[in-house]
Amino acid sequence: MSVTEYDVVIIGAGVAGLTAGALLAGRGLKVALVTKGEPTACLSTGGIDVCSRHENPLPGIQGLPPEHPYHLVSEEVIRQSLHDFQAAMADAHLPYCGGVEKNRSILSALGTSKISCLVPSTMAAAPRNTTESIHIITFKGLKDFYPGYIVSRRRNTKFSVYDAGVSTTMSLASRFEEKEFLETFLPWMENLNIKEDRIAFPAVLGLESAAEIVRTISMRAGKPVFEIPTIPPSMPGRRLFNALKKNFRQKGGTIYWAWPVVSTEKTGSVVEAVTTVSAGRPNSINARAFILSTGSFVGGGLTATRQTILENVFHLPVHIPGARETWFDNDYFSLNHGIGKAGILADQSMRPTGADWKNVFVCGSILANTEILKNGCGHGLALATANAAAQSCAEYLSDEL
Amino acid sequence: MIKTNVIIIGGGATGCGIARDLALRGIPHCLVEKGDFAAGATGACHGLLHSGGRYAVTDPVAARECYEENLILRKIGEKCVEQTGGLFVRLPGDSKRFREVFLRGCEQVGLPAEVISASKALELVPSLNPKLEEAIRVPDCSIDPFRLCMLNIRTSELRGGIIYTRHKVTEIIQSHGRCTGIKATDQSTGEIREIHGSIIVNATGAWADMVASLAGSEVPMTLVKGALVITNHRLTDMVINRLRHPSDGDIIVPNEAVCLAGTTSLAIEDPDNLVIQSPEVDTIIGEAGRMIPHFNNTRIIRAFSGVRPLLKSKKADSHEISRGFQIIDHQNGMFSIVGGKLSTFRLMAEKMVDCIMHSFNLKKPCETADIPLDGQEELSGYPLAKRLVDMKNVVCECELVHRQDVERIIKQMATRNVGDIQHRTRLGMGPCQGGFCTFRALGIMNDMNVLSPEQSMDMLRGFLQRRFRGIRYALWGDQLREEQLVEYIYLGILAMEEKP
Repeated sequence: MSVTEYDVVIIGAGVAGLTAGALLAGRGLKVALVTKGEPTACLSTGGIDVCSRHENPLPGIQGLPPEHPYHLVSEEVIRQSLHDFQAAMADAHLPYCGGVEKNRSILSALGTSKISCLVPSTMAAAPRNTTESIHIITFKGLKDFYPGYIVSRRRNTKFSVYDAGVSTTMSLASRFEEKEFLETFLPWMENLNIKEDRIAFPAVLGLESAAEIVRTISMRAGKPVFEIPTIPPSMPGRRLFNALKKNFRQKGGTIYWAWPVVSTEKTGSVVEAVTTVSAGRPNSINARAFILSTGSFVGGGLTATRQTILENVFHLPVHIPGARETWFDNDYFSLNHGIGKAGILADQSMRPTGADWKNVFVCGSILANTEILKNGCGHGLALATANAAAQSCAEYLSDEL
Repeated sequence: MIKTNVIIIGGGATGCGIARDLALRGIPHCLVEKGDFAAGATGACHGLLHSGGRYAVTDPVAARECYEENLILRKIGEKCVEQTGGLFVRLPGDSKRFREVFLRGCEQVGLPAEVISASKALELVPSLNPKLEEAIRVPDCSIDPFRLCMLNIRTSELRGGIIYTRHKVTEIIQSHGRCTGIKATDQSTGEIREIHGSIIVNATGAWADMVASLAGSEVPMTLVKGALVITNHRLTDMVINRLRHPSDGDIIVPNEAVCLAGTTSLAIEDPDNLVIQSPEVDTIIGEAGRMIPHFNNTRIIRAFSGVRPLLKSKKADSHEISRGFQIIDHQNGMFSIVGGKLSTFRLMAEKMVDCIMHSFNLKKPCETADIPLDGQEELSGYPLAKRLVDMKNVVCECELVHRQDVERIIKQMATRNVGDIQHRTRLGMGPCQGGFCTFRALGIMNDMNVLSPEQSMDMLRGFLQRRFRGIRYALWGDQLREEQLVEYIYLGILAMEEKP
């Protein structure tokens, strides 16, 4: 078995894990991140939902139930974490618009308003009212985007279909990264003589340089251009993941890709190492502290069985919202499914409650009582709790020395 | 207004079988169904074509009927019957005496039953509990109930039968104490159709009493709910029964790429309001897991229940009520046909149409047992290799359904209902249970202008609610994970909870 030594090991490569990792690496600590695969961030719209059920995120957070993990983080840290995120993304050429004072809306692929707080610049030009007309450009054979859904809600919407020769979101995005492709596409678009106020695309406008591609198209069209997030695989989600990865690595962090944690080594009240398996060979990674950011059920941090709910890495006690019957409400759209409360309870230091480990910190959607869909608080909560967990972890490490 | 001779109410196996029989005997008819074909007990059963073994001990008459019909359906319905064979397995602790009674029962019914050793049984079905004592082999088969209905209806359509699905009968027209017709409401447009005929057949299963009451008649029945679960994998290639007195969780049936396991048996009042309890699901999985241990760890993609419309009986245990059927002549031009089983649907239809012929004073004999079902040749062109050719246009990744398949059904049926597409292509039947592909199927309908955009949104909402009712009793493990993802897509990414 190979043994490697770090100051901190982060488990999970989502928004929370990569953010906490970058913060700790930025402080000069030796940080490794182990992940079994791509995070659920890749499936997301790329937008940072802070608290979407209220016009203004911060008062919205204040109104959340007392057990909500947002209350473990001070308002100052929430503000700072969003500010840092925006700065880091601007450096990574993935600028985000908006601010913590006010939510904004982007157009969803069903034509509804999706409320978010910080949105990728490529979606920022979504119309603010229903009177503005939109021209949607979609692509032949693209099976995950149907402009008809949007036309149903916005009468002043037209659409055109471009044959790009490819039809998946991923392959369309890589075509848009080719200069020659754009040079064929732009004259075609000009020939449409679009009369509508704004031009919309499904979110396939590149992977690395989407902001620039949107700017180029917008300049040629002389109109605001914006992207509409699609169902997974989502290019904006992937862009976010790539930018966060880049930021973490620039700060000096190391990523162990496709290394699922299979066991942990503990002494007293301290976790000493996690063991992962890569290509069948066990690797023990020692560290002085660990951050658990493995996500909820979809991310793989939690597993529900018929009898109970388990945390998969440290076997931490899980807050279970009740018997299996109560996990889901009868009304699918109620946003009130009990399962949304399942997760790990943490204290102010972001340590899991009910467990002995003094060097384990938890952040992101694995936390209990998040009710992410109900409260519209996915990536925002991840950023805030990652900051709090990283801070607490850094304090622990400096005290320990 | 439409004029015909016989009006059939109900598009389950019985109603569709009656339509085919009438068509073959040249009697003009019209079938009216409130939902889609096989929407009631027909589509909500385990899809077993009984050998009769299950009833050999408790109900020899039903057992004999099942075996005879089993032989007939295998012959006339090759493309909707899979000749899997079946095993009755005896596990440690199961009564040896029941085995003797079972074998004697099979012999009396004339049903071939062969005792095989545990090792031979494990050779046939390697996933079986290795501790089994022995097994008895019987000619059980698996049957596709939806396909069965479609093929029966095809004969009717080819011979001028009039078929209305998604039409709910709201009135039975009477004149001088006789039923002379019906009024049916188109469920999507609200339009009312008037159909006149001299005989009405009420083949509405669990809803028979409600329909009969429209003409002031009664159909006494016991409604028994049976719950089932569907696995993500085909864990066995043979039907597996438990060799014991009929009880909960004693059968596993392979069907296409999945397995169905059931059932429970609980008396209920309202067939439109079915609830499954977690203990029912746990019982089925636990019992199925005793026959096939891997069942305990396999992914369950859906739990559902159907209503067996059984003849009224005083017997306390609903497993004991006869699976036989009965034709009730209401003496007002309406007949109700109730009870019976999917396996005996053809026989039921034959007896029903015999009654009709008798009242018309006509003599033409039944031919449904001798002529293969129409339309089966079209069902052969569906091999996996064919479906893999054009992956670019696959809209349902779980079941490999192409955009062209969806477009063809939409054009053929002029349907506006995504359920119609699902039943005919298997779209949305896989692990994600339509989570991804329904958004696409409705998007395609939208593109083809058969659906107004408002309708497609309503359909999507309705579909997600219905889908949720099916999966919510099977949500743990990977299926819960999948569900959380789908919920995130619709409520998070697509912001669907926002009302238009």
